[in-house]
Amino acid sequence: MPNVKSNFLTRLALSTSVIGALMTAPLAAFASPGHGQGHGSVAAEIGTPGKAADVTRTIKIVMEDNFFDMETIEVSAGETILFQIENKGEFVHEFNIGTAAMHASHQKEMMMMMEHGALDVDKIHMDKMKMDMGNGMTMEHDDPNSVLLEPGKTAEIIWTFPADAELEFACNVPGHYESGMMGKVRLKS
Amino acid sequence: MKINYIKGVLAGALAMAALSTGSQAATYDLTVDYVTIDTGDTKTTGIGYNGASPGPTLRFREGEEAVINVTNNLKEATSIHWHGLILPYQMDGVPGISFPGIEPGETFTYRIPVKQSGTYWFHSHSGFQEPDGAYGSIIIEPEKREPFKFDREYVVVLKDKHPHSGDRILRNLKMMPDYYNRKQRTLGDFIDDVGKNGLGATLSERGDWGSMRMMRTDIEDVQGFVGLINGMSPDQNWTGLFKPEERVRLRFINASAMTYFDVRIPGLEMTVVQADGNNVQPVKVDEFRISVAETYDVIVQPKDDRAYPIFAESMGRSGYAFATLAPREGMQAEMPELRTESPMLTMADMGMAHGDMGHGDMAGMNHGAAATDSGSQGSMPGMDHSNMGMGEKADPFYAAGSGLVPVAANGGKFLSYGDLKAQKPLYAERPATREIELRLTGNMERYSWSINGVKYEDAEPIRLKYGERVRFKFVNETMMTHPMHLHGMWSILDTGQGKWNPVKHTISINPGTTVYSETEVDEPGEWAFHCHLSYHMATGMFRKVVVEGGPTVTQLGNGN
Repeated sequence: MPNVKSNFLTRLALSTSVIGALMTAPLAAFASPGHGQGHGSVAAEIGTPGKAADVTRTIKIVMEDNFFDMETIEVSAGETILFQIENKGEFVHEFNIGTAAMHASHQKEMMMMMEHGALDVDKIHMDKMKMDMGNGMTMEHDDPNSVLLEPGKTAEIIWTFPADAELEFACNVPGHYESGMMGKVRLKS
Repeated sequence: MKINYIKGVLAGALAMAALSTGSQAATYDLTVDYVTIDTGDTKTTGIGYNGASPGPTLRFREGEEAVINVTNNLKEATSIHWHGLILPYQMDGVPGISFPGIEPGETFTYRIPVKQSGTYWFHSHSGFQEPDGAYGSIIIEPEKREPFKFDREYVVVLKDKHPHSGDRILRNLKMMPDYYNRKQRTLGDFIDDVGKNGLGATLSERGDWGSMRMMRTDIEDVQGFVGLINGMSPDQNWTGLFKPEERVRLRFINASAMTYFDVRIPGLEMTVVQADGNNVQPVKVDEFRISVAETYDVIVQPKDDRAYPIFAESMGRSGYAFATLAPREGMQAEMPELRTESPMLTMADMGMAHGDMGHGDMAGMNHGAAATDSGSQGSMPGMDHSNMGMGEKADPFYAAGSGLVPVAANGGKFLSYGDLKAQKPLYAERPATREIELRLTGNMERYSWSINGVKYEDAEPIRLKYGERVRFKFVNETMMTHPMHLHGMWSILDTGQGKWNPVKHTISINPGTTVYSETEVDEPGEWAFHCHLSYHMATGMFRKVVVEGGPTVTQLGNGN
């Protein structure tokens, strides 16, 4: 895991890239309005949605109950990857790229989804997901850095990784992360 | 030796398995011996396996045939029951039901086709050999990958080791039922209560309980034990090693004779992944209550380079067990603050205890507090919709207003039966073909326990038909919690989750509650069905179950 050299430089680099990302990326891509609050101040850059033309590699991810078929993903800094994700399990699973802190707060959100009936262990209730949680937040999973899949379904994510970050890919369905359904993203500079 | 005890035992067991012929069968040799049990404070003579108590951890593989040769070196008959294992009934190890028992000097060979995986345990089913130390653990490796990952694992077996032998304890209980109940209310308590509630109210309340010959602190029949973890007392400090960031699987087994424990690891959240050997949908908790004979497998991920305490306080708070999880040898975790205040039973807990209580006059009883619950099915699971998703949810497996409801020491989440959901249902869902009511009854004054008011020796067996799905209705008419265990077949606990109801072998029934479980009757033969509190089982809270019909059972005997 590449180490960050100094606090100041990190913050400078991050704020520059955040401003850069906000200027260049369409609004929905970086963080959908619904989840804006949940991630608080963007203290770490996780990358951006990528363009199909920039894809250098395809990585197939298989979801099973309750684990991914790989423990680590190795990518080069700035590389754009096409992820082909398939749920071969009998339960709903998520594939989500982010920091450990983001996953932790997302787990709380997904717990709330289950408690409100938007998510069963093996089914997603799309209609309940659109429910307004108050202050404009919904439970829709329309972030570009994650997909939530029912058994048997597939999806794709094209993602451009940043130069430097401590990232994990994870399933944040209640209990799955703790059971080991997560892995590290190794960024090679 | 102590710290690497588990590793050594596992290595030994693996070596034994490797030496056996072929990969289809694993052979174990067990001897049943008199052993010295040294808890640091007391040294007693007890019973163990292969010269030690607890006995070894047996390791089987799903799909193989396990062959266990048991040689009895005692001066009395013995037996071994494989708790939670599905097997031919002649291999179940209950003298008088499965087989005649193993005589002194005899070697009996068990042959068990292993059709399951998970954490289980084994123990003697003769006399009070199990309370005296005859217990050990079983790990069954699964054929397919488990739905959770871990980097290392430990068996954590809890025991309530008493300085008195089991025979002596029962003699004392028969003579004086509160012989071992130390937490009685004192004059000082009376004065405090008068100060709080006034003289009239206090006298009336004392009178209510007195007229029932009950004590509100009567939660544990047998106090005065030392809590052991893997055979070691708190001072002896069993230690399991880990590397920070590793996922550690802890296989908790409560092998106690009489004691429920509330288990926590301050500083670590536990993710429960198995209950009674069956995978459950993972649930994160801070603390859980483990009944006698139950097992829970949890995953923890210690991240700091420090020692964490594994702490188990008895439900009645009269004793505790303690061990350490550490990154290096030679460390001892800090002892958490003890909760010494005993829970107090309330009138809600006696909601259904109108039966034989050894006295005639019920006039003085105040039903006010139990009004919401007495006679009703208020304790049925799944009925409490009032607090959906917000705030505290009342645990539906305790009577409303019960004094036994557990609260996590750190104010966090305490596991409830309502949180247990099967990861993968074992049986297709279908309606039960009939219901059998089992009232859990007893007379505290005579220390005599029973089912439907009838003791084992006076009772007819429960007859089930092969192929039916029977629904058991447990009605607890006593003031105590009873862990009910059906041998040989799974109990599907009704937690209101339909097809996700968890599958267990031991179900704890709290006072004043009614609990339902269903069993697919798919194993021929004769099976024991009893409360797993040793002295309740011995005085009559026991039944034989006879399964009629089904495939003819061949006469399996010793090692055939």
